[in-house]
Amino acid sequence: MSTHLSSKTPEVRAPGLLPRLARVEGLPIILVFVILVVFFMIAAPQVFLGWPIYLSFLTTVPPMLVLAIGLTLVVAAGEIDLSFPSTLAFAGYLFSVCETQLGSPWLGLVAALAGGALIGLVNGTLVAVVGVPSIIVTIGTQFFWAGAASILSGGQSDALQELDGTAIYNIFAGNLFGVLPMQALWALAIAVFMWFILNRHRFGEHVLFIGDSRTVARVAGVNVVLETIKLFTLMGVLGGFAAVLLTIENLNYFSTQGQGYLLPALAGVFIGGTSVFGGTATIVGTFFGTFIIGMLEAGVVATGIAGFWVQAIEGIVFVAAVVLHLVVESPAKLRALSGIVGLRREQ
Amino acid sequence: MDTQTPKTRSYEHIVRAENLSLSYGKVRALSGIDLAIGKNEIVGLIGDNGAGKSTLIKTLTGVVRPTSGKLYIRDELVDWGSYSVREAHRLRFETVYQEKSLGEKQPLWRNIFVGRQITNRFGFIKVAEERRIANDILKRQLGFRGVGIDADSTISKLSGGERQGIAIGRAMHFDSDLIILDEPTVALAISEVRKVLDFVRSIKTSGRACIYIEHNLAHVHELADRLVVLDRGRIVADIKSGEMTLEQLTKFLIDLQHSGHAVGPA
Amino acid sequence: MTKTKLLATAGLLALGWTAAAQATQPTTSGPLGAGMTMYMQMGGNPGDGATLARQTGAADAAHAFGIKVIEQFSAWNPETMLDQFRQAMAARPTCIGITGHPGDAAFDPLIAQAEKEGTLVTVGNTPLPVAEATYGAKGTGYAGVDLYIGGEITAQAMLAAGLKSGDEALEYGVFNETTRSQSDRGLRDTLVKAGVKVTELNISPQVDSDSSLAVPILVAFLESHPHLKGIGTQHGGVTGFIPQALRQVGKQPGQIIVGGIDLAPSTIAGLQQKYITATLDQQLYLQGFLPVTQCVLSARYHFAGLNINTGAGVETPSTIDSLIPLIKRGIR
Repeated sequence: MSTHLSSKTPEVRAPGLLPRLARVEGLPIILVFVILVVFFMIAAPQVFLGWPIYLSFLTTVPPMLVLAIGLTLVVAAGEIDLSFPSTLAFAGYLFSVCETQLGSPWLGLVAALAGGALIGLVNGTLVAVVGVPSIIVTIGTQFFWAGAASILSGGQSDALQELDGTAIYNIFAGNLFGVLPMQALWALAIAVFMWFILNRHRFGEHVLFIGDSRTVARVAGVNVVLETIKLFTLMGVLGGFAAVLLTIENLNYFSTQGQGYLLPALAGVFIGGTSVFGGTATIVGTFFGTFIIGMLEAGVVATGIAGFWVQAIEGIVFVAAVVLHLVVESPAKLRALSGIVGLRREQ
Repeated sequence: MDTQTPKTRSYEHIVRAENLSLSYGKVRALSGIDLAIGKNEIVGLIGDNGAGKSTLIKTLTGVVRPTSGKLYIRDELVDWGSYSVREAHRLRFETVYQEKSLGEKQPLWRNIFVGRQITNRFGFIKVAEERRIANDILKRQLGFRGVGIDADSTISKLSGGERQGIAIGRAMHFDSDLIILDEPTVALAISEVRKVLDFVRSIKTSGRACIYIEHNLAHVHELADRLVVLDRGRIVADIKSGEMTLEQLTKFLIDLQHSGHAVGPA
Repeated sequence: MTKTKLLATAGLLALGWTAAAQATQPTTSGPLGAGMTMYMQMGGNPGDGATLARQTGAADAAHAFGIKVIEQFSAWNPETMLDQFRQAMAARPTCIGITGHPGDAAFDPLIAQAEKEGTLVTVGNTPLPVAEATYGAKGTGYAGVDLYIGGEITAQAMLAAGLKSGDEALEYGVFNETTRSQSDRGLRDTLVKAGVKVTELNISPQVDSDSSLAVPILVAFLESHPHLKGIGTQHGGVTGFIPQALRQVGKQPGQIIVGGIDLAPSTIAGLQQKYITATLDQQLYLQGFLPVTQCVLSARYHFAGLNINTGAGVETPSTIDSLIPLIKRGIR
């Protein structure tokens, strides 16, 4: 049996350049990234034509990136997680205590991941089972776990200088071939892996459908409750891993670590093009978006623009990127744009 | 394709509900529903808004669990503890909802397979295969003629009729024995409505069963073997095709609304 | 005189002598601060670099004097400090210890009201000159470093280490906050007066919270200013990360003269490795201990407020080693 589909008047899909380019994942933000780097190279050649600044970025940005990738999936499901700064503090504490009291940083790694998983599990259960909106849950748990880290650590920072040069340091914060920061490779590996999970795995597809419409997901047979719990737990584990990267790199545990990562990680996700409404997400976008945010202040400083301008520039870049995404994704606006730019062939 | 349910074993009713009730707190959505659908029947389910039609469908297809009652699928008792949408799909039941069938922002190929993805051992989706089958469905079953819709098209770019086509194509692909259509013609252009009605007819001619929820009495009167009327959670009439004319049916339903009961077929 | 009378007289004299030689009795049988309560604003977050030692100092003083000290933390946010002051007032404690970040103008009406209700107010870490002048007689004192002077001292240490007229230097500070920027201005002004060419850079909120984020920024600055000779800051967290930035651009210890503040673990390491030239030691413990002492003494015996400069000077690679055990215990 067959049913012939009638369709409305065949849409004139002129094979223009812009629509085809828009299909490459993350292209708009990749372009913004390249333009920005080129701009910095021109405006501050003594900094951006040398290696040290890039190696510095590859050391600082990875923890932010790991967090942002986790957030990408959370946002794809139509949720949000604001508690991850506290995961950095709490999981970091667990790592630090295993090293200083028990002398075992590897146990600390496991403990940090487990601690992060616990935080995520609590978040996920409150959101999926009890039904509290994730923004409210994670604001609350952010306070709770930050407080827990504070109480348990007695507020003390821990120097972990003794880890310098040890195996665990070399694996997570060392330099491959003496040059390439290991945390960058770890972050890259996670990015690649999570891309496959989001775009090629059953779990990722469930996340996308939940973000698209919980009702559709449910009637399609997706166990929304279970998948949501798994999602937040995954975010927690990634937060725990970011905590380990951060703590080992700094060779220090600060009981207040993490607070400064809240806005950059979120900004990286949204600049990258993932929609706050859920249902679509791009890991590639988050990857470049986070690097843009991570690079911005140093780049502005290098070009000699007064430091007070940094936040204003961050805001402009953010708004510009978000508007760019909206334009590129909407066919009507895209046609208008390519008409203006002269790339559309007239029918 | 699923081969676990023996198609060859004979049975009388594809699905039979016995004394189904569903209450949300004090609200009784369904009361004592007894409904049997034959192997090759088109059963029209009609009633006013809030009568319980969608709720009944959801209990039959594992979306919600009733507070009491029994369900028989192919004459075998269903265990509520293990019944779910996934299980219903496995038993070859398929629902085509008016609005909630498809993920708007997702491409076609994902929508066809979501919830029953073709995966490898680790859960990774065989994307190439799903895409191929999706294009196949578009070509063969839906007469896709290269008008700019392919497996990667996002649902949001399709018209109402095209979306219904996809949902129906999905039902056909998974070779369902029972297809439930929940208000399939709402908001469709006239030519598209024709197609949907043709499709419903073809369900019958291919030996399957169909439950068809519809507001438009003319459509359902034309197509259904039987009409089941739901009012405030109860079945109030079970009318065979031909027992009433369209005018009689309309009057019957209006009386029902006004007085809470109505005179049955003569 | 008979032998008995001689012995008796000797005995009486001995007794009188002993009586006269006995020590002075204390004024109270129990602790001086018994029955008193003090709300103490610690300023930052529990345990952070500039707060921990003050917490420890206040706790030791509370233990020594037997006064109950209730801690408040505000993440250095002036508005939060004002709110917490109101909350403290409602509890009618004996004293409230504050830091001066919100400024005299904002605090004045609140302090006036507290004094009217009989609550003593004293200041630590960041000064409130007007409050001190107005209520000094009642016990409002100050225990801390004068921020501007602290910056001066740090800069002088940098100059003493070899920074000279014509050299380029960076001052990386919280310039957008009136009170906190005083220390950075002190540092900058002192260097400028000595003829050093100073560039100012503002610490962003992200870096303020997570100082590790300062590293790429410092790298960028170092790379774009190849003739840089000095880096100064008065942010405790950032101080600790300067060595990392220097290593990333390949600088040797001592190539850049670095002046910082406080004694975070990485700062200590930086001093030991000679990447950091000098760091201002606020003796933060005293900024916690002394306000509590002030409170007890003024509340009990109406002593006037004391202005005590807790800044001893800077720690350098040569002085740091002896302090390390104390630092580990959160005392220094």
